[in-house]
Formats: sequence, structure tokens, C-alpha cells
Amino acid sequence: MIDSLALQSELLPEGLNISFKTLPAILVLGMLGLFLAIGFVFRVADTENMWVAGRSIGNVENGMAIGANWMSAASYLGMAALIALSGVYGLAFVVGWTTGYFILLIFMAAQLRRFGKYTAPDFVGDRFNSDSARAIAAVTTFLIGFVYAIGQARGMALVGLYVFGDFGGVIPGLDGYQVMVVAMMAITVGYLSLSGMLGATKNQAVQYVILIVAFLAGLFVVGVTNGYSTILPQIEYGMLISELGSEFSEPFVNESYYLWIATCFSLIVGTCGLPHVLVRFYTVESERTARWSTVWGLFFICLLYWSAPAFAAFGTDLYSSNVGATYGDPGMSSAAGDVIVVLATQLSGLPEWFVGLVAAGGIAAAIATVAGLFIAGSSAISHDIYTNIINPDATQRQQILVGRLSILLLGAITTLAALDPAAPIAALVSYAFSLAGAVLFPMFFLGMWWENTNRQGALAGMLTGLTLWAIPMINEVVPTYGFFGGETISPALAQWMPAIGSALIAVPIVFVVTIGVSLATEEPPMETKKIVRQCHSPEPMSQQQTAEDVVAADGGTETPADD
Amino acid sequence: MTDKTTHDTAGDSGRADDGRSIETDGGVASQAAQDHEQTDYLNAEVNLLNPSTPFMREHLKIVWTGFAIWAVIVFGPVTMTRLAPGVMTTQMPVIGFPLHYFLIAFGGPTGALLLSFWYARKRDALDEKYGIDPESVSTQTEGEAVAADGGVEE
Repeated sequence: MIDSLALQSELLPEGLNISFKTLPAILVLGMLGLFLAIGFVFRVADTENMWVAGRSIGNVENGMAIGANWMSAASYLGMAALIALSGVYGLAFVVGWTTGYFILLIFMAAQLRRFGKYTAPDFVGDRFNSDSARAIAAVTTFLIGFVYAIGQARGMALVGLYVFGDFGGVIPGLDGYQVMVVAMMAITVGYLSLSGMLGATKNQAVQYVILIVAFLAGLFVVGVTNGYSTILPQIEYGMLISELGSEFSEPFVNESYYLWIATCFSLIVGTCGLPHVLVRFYTVESERTARWSTVWGLFFICLLYWSAPAFAAFGTDLYSSNVGATYGDPGMSSAAGDVIVVLATQLSGLPEWFVGLVAAGGIAAAIATVAGLFIAGSSAISHDIYTNIINPDATQRQQILVGRLSILLLGAITTLAALDPAAPIAALVSYAFSLAGAVLFPMFFLGMWWENTNRQGALAGMLTGLTLWAIPMINEVVPTYGFFGGETISPALAQWMPAIGSALIAVPIVFVVTIGVSLATEEPPMETKKIVRQCHSPEPMSQQQTAEDVVAADGGTETPADD
Repeated sequence: MTDKTTHDTAGDSGRADDGRSIETDGGVASQAAQDHEQTDYLNAEVNLLNPSTPFMREHLKIVWTGFAIWAVIVFGPVTMTRLAPGVMTTQMPVIGFPLHYFLIAFGGPTGALLLSFWYARKRDALDEKYGIDPESVSTQTEGEAVAADGGVEE
């Protein structure tokens, strides 16, 4: 179903009031201004050495940062869309995107904090003592940023249609949606270059508050105005389910059990391998904070994830009674689905500024995530590939230039890919999860939990992972951009190794390859093994220490020949 | 993005033979705390399937217990729905949800949240049992500007 809805000549959400609206436009622009202002204030704080106070930030605020970092347009818009359109299958996203944090917590959060490096390519490069491994991880990080951002661009543009209206034709050859993609991506890249200068990445707690207030306020008000719910819409929507048509709740009518499992698994391992998620654990004050802020982060994430199915239920009912039948032919389009959160608010007859608030929350979610992804992607290029491998003597100026250029490049290719997106927001984003799960998750997991994982194993594993991710992408997604006649090349492969959940097949294979090659080749050096051991030692470490420092300090003394 | 390496007094963490006394139990270390004192963690192999220190053994027991419950929470309801669709799709009293829908949409996230809370508590208790005080290493406050975004902005 996802695929059949994918190709539309023009993405215009039916039922959505598309026109320029002054108040919502002011809200959106004001919000961006607020982010910039906060960035400016924090920049001042930094130069005055106020960061010390930042180190004492508690679990709750760290949890908010995790939540804001996590929730993108896929959570805010895309999830409700999939739940509305695909019923129980959509719930695989609710489960996958929350429960993955438990795996992150028990296997990786504290250990990563102890390892103490800053980026995913840094970890891979240092753990496996290999610049090639670092380069593969950097390329993967860049690819993840690109694929992930396509979904965000689609979400921003669809919501932008509500706020700013239809400017089709303003750029020759582009329809209203496409013009909005170009405009919103230009705003994002512009915002990013400004905020990059001002150091505005400390916005996360604010972004979380805006996002969750907008989403929950929208849900409560929609629930009350239409008489669906009173004080607990997250539970009360249960009474509505039986009226929504069997597609909403009947299991496996839209997608198979296998696809549910594959998707959910892929999202879980992807959660544990996404560079911009993992980075949050390097920067907390201690490993205990790393653990507890994960618990808080999951709580803040759950606030939205408990609510998304309720929003989907309300939206589906409102759509059916105001616009047309949600299911069947023609049914709700994927474009309308992707804005169902905004649409539900609008169809409830609420004032424009309030609908605008809900829309602004979606745009905030998208921009915040794209900013994080693009910074991670560009630093992978400028720091890990350019400075570490191509030009070790690079000056600060050159590095910044390369970083800026990679942000522009990311913005350009994302815009192009989003002009005619292959799938709804949540599906687009899940391709990035498949990639992170197949390539980075096994490296982090094995690298942390089996000290004998070595360079050769990691290289073989990552290349296998990249290949296994690329096969279903070429099979299913590339054709939707007009290649290979536009049809999925092998439907049988698409059934068993769907792009949306390819990690279910890829992860076990990558594990086997990595372990096999590691066993067949030389063990890693003792120094590396000790760093892994230090990551698991329960001995407390000081805030600024990395595992490498401790091992270096331990240097030489009593090293029994145990290998 | 430089690593702020500070080889200070805290550098001796990770060493077992430095003879620090455990104060939490008034100087009389429990068996677990003594084990901890006598373990040199840098010389104990890390292998998920074959833990080599008492601490790791106990920790992994918690980890695997949590993992097993987690697997049931995540994949249990949907699998049960596949196997016994009739039973699982019955409407629940009072709240009106079909059972499977509630277990997946609400049970999954909530279960993971409760499990996370349980794990973090357990792990804190384990630290206490082994006489480990996470606050024992003085937090440094010389205000080095380590970027909050992971130092990615060069």
C-alpha cells in the first residue's frame, strides 16, 4: 500500500486549507527567531565559561534533550499518518521507536559514555584502529543524514502548504508542494548556517517543550471539541476504534505479520545505531546520568507516542465525516495522511492561530532534526574524511569551508530527492534506520561486547551491511525516481527483504561476517582490548576522562600474558 | 574537536591494588565489595556470552532478564495476534480497545519505560552492593568548553 500511493504527480493534501495565513506564518517565523536568539544567548554563555553550569544539568533536562533530538517530523506527523492509513502496521513504528531505547540503555548507553569519544565515526575509527573503518562510518553517517532528511523535507513542505499557501509555478516547472520543498529547505540551510555560527545546538529542551506542548494541546483540544475525550485522550480513543472501519484496528489486513516484525526490528536496531542518537550519551556528566537520562528521555518520548495513535483515530474519524471515506478507493491520500495531525485540528473548526501552532510544532520537529543530522553529516565529511584522511594538515578555515560545502551539498541532494518523494514520511525515515541498524549497530554492539572484534571483522561487516542495505533500496526505492521503468525489480525480494525493514535480514548476516572474519584473523592489540574492558569496568571515571586515557595511565604495569 | 585528556589523580580508577577502603559499610567490606576490590577490570576479558568478573556476571544476569521480558513485550502481543486472532481482537471492557491494539500501542512503549526504570534501579543497587560510589570521583570544574552537541561544530 505504501508503494502504490507513492507516485503522485502532485502532492496536495486533500481537505487541507491551503492558503497564506498571517498568524500561523508569524508563529513559524517567530519560533525560528526564538531558536536563533537562544543560540545567541548560549554562545555568549559559552565564551564566559558558563559551561560548567551546563555540566550539572540533571537527568530531566538531559532526557528532554534526548527527546527533542529524537522526535522529528516522522514522529510528529508521519507516525499518526501510518497509523491512520495502515492501522496495526503503523503501530510497529510506535513500538520500534520507543522500545529500542531499552536496548540502548542496557547494552550501550553507559559503555559509550565511558568510551568517551564524540562521534560515531570516531568510535568506529578508534575502536578498530582503522581509518578505512572511520571513512566507511563517516560515509554511512552522511548517507543517513541524507535519507533521513528526505522525510523531514516532505513533512515540512506539506505543513508549509497550510501555513504559507500554494505557490505552484513561482519556480517554473515546480508545483506548489515542490516550491514549498525548495523554500523550506532553503530556510533550514539558512537557519543552520546562522545557528551554526551562533552555536544554537543547545536549543533542545526548548524545542522539546514547543513540540510536545503543540502536539498534546492539539490532541486535547481536538478531543474535547469533538466530544471524543475529556482528560485522557491517550486512553479514551479506545471507545472510538470500533467506529473507524476494520482497517484501523484489524491485524494484518494492510501488511503482513512478517513485515510488521521486520519493520519493528529494523527500527529498534536503527535506534541503537543512529549517530545523532548515540552522540547524546557521550556528553552527559557521568555514566549514571547516561542511564537515568535514558529513562527520562524514554518517558518524554512516550508522552508523544502514547498520543499519536489517539491523534490518528480522531483524524481518521474527522476525515471520514468531513472529507471522504478514509479507506477504500480513492481513500485518504498519503499526502493528507502525512498532515493528519494538522488536518484534524483544522477540521475541528479551531481558530487559525491554534492550527498554526500545531503546524509550527511539526516544522520545529523537522528543522531541529535536520539541523542535527546535517551537522553530524557535514562533520563526518569535514572532520573524519577530509581532515583525518585526505588532508591531515587542513587549516581551521579549510575545515570550516569543507563543512559548509557539505551542508550545502546535503541540502541540495535532499531537496532534489524530496521533490518527488518515494514514500510517506515515516517510511522514508525508516530507510535511514535500516541503514544505521545494518552498518553501525553491529559495530557498536560487537565492538563494545566482544573485545576480540578486530579491524578486518569490522571492515568486512560494514561493507556487508552497506551492500545488504543497498540491494532492497535499489530494488524498491530507486525505481520510484523513474529508473528501471519505475517498477520494483524483484517483487519476491521486496517481500522477504523489504527496504523498510531490511535490517531483519542484514543484522544477523553482518554479525556472522564480523565474528567470522574476526576469528579468522589476528586478535586486536592488547591496548584496544583494555579500552573495551575499561568501558565495562564498574569503577567510576572522572568527567573528562575517556577509556583510552585510563588505559594509557594504567600503562605497562602488570600485564599478565593472557593472550 | 580535541580530546580533553586530563591525567590527574582520578587516573588511578580502574586499579584494584591501590588499597582504597570502602566506606559505605563502615570499613567492613561485604563479599561482593571484596570481590570488587580484588578484581583488575583491565585484565578481565569482555565477552558478552562469557562474563569474566563477578560484577559482570551479576550485571549480565540483570541485562538478560530485562532483555527476555523486553522481547516478550515487543514481539509477544503481535505474535499472539497472529496465532490466535480471535482471542486477541476481543474488545476490552471499560476502555473499549481491541485487546491486541491496546497491548501493542500502549503496552509496548509503557512496558519499555517501566523496564528501563527497573534496570536503572537494579544497576544502581548493584553499584551499591559492590561498594561503588559513582560520586567518588570528583567532578572537574575547570570549565573546559566541550561542546554540548558532541563537538561536531568545528
